[in-house]
Amino acid sequence: MEYDLRAMDREIKLIEQSVGRLRELGGGIEVVERNADSILAFTYLLKRSISDILE
Amino acid sequence: MDGKRYWNPIIETLPRERLQQIELKRFRELLRWAKESSPFYKRKLRGIEPEDIRTMEDVAKVPMTEKDELRAAQEGKEPYLYGDLLAVPPERLSVFHQTSGTTGRPVYFPDTYESWQWVVEVWCYILYGAGFRPQDRLFLPFAYNVYIAFWQGHYAAEKLGCEVVPGGALDTQGRIQKAKEVRATALMNTPTYGLHLAEVAKEMGIDPRRDLEVKKMICAGEPMPEPTRLRMEELWGADVYDHIGGTEVGGWGGMCSEKKGMHVIEPHYLLEMVDLETMSKSVPPGTKGVTVITPLCRRCIPLIRFNLKDVMLVMEKPCPCGRTSIRVDEIGGRVDDLRKIRGVFFTPAIVEEVLRSQFPEVTEFETVLTQEGVMPVLALRVEFDPSIGESQWKELRGRIRERLKVRSNLTFEIDVVKPGGLPRYTLKSARFKDLTKR
Repeated sequence: MEYDLRAMDREIKLIEQSVGRLRELGGGIEVVERNADSILAFTYLLKRSISDILE
Repeated sequence: MDGKRYWNPIIETLPRERLQQIELKRFRELLRWAKESSPFYKRKLRGIEPEDIRTMEDVAKVPMTEKDELRAAQEGKEPYLYGDLLAVPPERLSVFHQTSGTTGRPVYFPDTYESWQWVVEVWCYILYGAGFRPQDRLFLPFAYNVYIAFWQGHYAAEKLGCEVVPGGALDTQGRIQKAKEVRATALMNTPTYGLHLAEVAKEMGIDPRRDLEVKKMICAGEPMPEPTRLRMEELWGADVYDHIGGTEVGGWGGMCSEKKGMHVIEPHYLLEMVDLETMSKSVPPGTKGVTVITPLCRRCIPLIRFNLKDVMLVMEKPCPCGRTSIRVDEIGGRVDDLRKIRGVFFTPAIVEEVLRSQFPEVTEFETVLTQEGVMPVLALRVEFDPSIGESQWKELRGRIRERLKVRSNLTFEIDVVKPGGLPRYTLKSARFKDLTKR
């Protein structure tokens, strides 16, 4: 199966950007901060598993 | 199984050349990170420029990291427990583990939430490769305590979608009953404890093959020679898989369904195999060497070229499973356990290999090295299955001595211990005792 790595990478970056925006809106409240950190831990894994494969 | 072979088909089937490119790139990034963030590596890597590392030959110019250095970098240093190794602010830490302390003072290894998720992720490759799927109910017959392996297995299985049943606060009989009660389809344990569980189950009138529903087992915590793995498969009627890992580096390799050697989880790890004598020159596939490993994405406590002191070899042929990662065979035991006895190199792994492959009558054993005058003496203490009558002991003892002589070129004194007389281990076994060091 062929995978569209570029499209997948774009979506991963969008998640990161979206988390950044959510953080700004949250104004430092814990529930947003901690859950945002958790999401970013998983986008880190997706980058290591998908994005890094791009030439 | 569900027909899907790989946890990450993109990475697991990449051409080797591309895997190596990614590993070298990550190695440079890790060097940069370590030099910036870890006081230990700031000193150790002085004069090393990440941009200069372009090939595997360049990697070999970077100094190795030894376990004793890790201890020294933590002892009496701030921040408390982790000292100069820590590369993130302490308030970012969320998980604590430590080494078992088998070879000295324990080393403490924390993780941030991010680095812990990476540790769990690499274990997903191991479990998925061993056929673990969401339909599985995994029972872990252990109190995990501060040791990493079972926590990794627990969380990775959970991430895969398995149902995870922790079996900590129970004795061995209670664990067998719990595995039966929940109809566990998979187990994770040390090889030693897997054998012990089967032994106790039989004493309870439970045949693991017939009365339990365990169909796969993943082993952790100590090396598992092939004869031991086969014996476990026989006792449990299950597919038994091995993995390799450690607190310092996480789980870095695992068996696929072919059960021939272990796939390195590339490009999350960079593996090197160096010459036993010089400890610098790399050795080609098919040749025994000392394993040196770099976890490439764990940034909390970066480790660069960590000397595992395990003797292994890289297998020469690609695996029929389709994974393109390097496969290693864990064949030679620990460098620290190697002894030269009467001019012959001896590793205690040989004893386990012979006993587990040729003597199903042996339930437990212990090798003891002592000294009489200047002469080293190797003694083997064995325990036979209770069904073996004392009248058979002499003949068995003779055969064991003869087979060990053939395999090791050394003569063993053999003592038979009554059933239950030798210690049983749940975590790392200590079946080799060198009393000449006292």
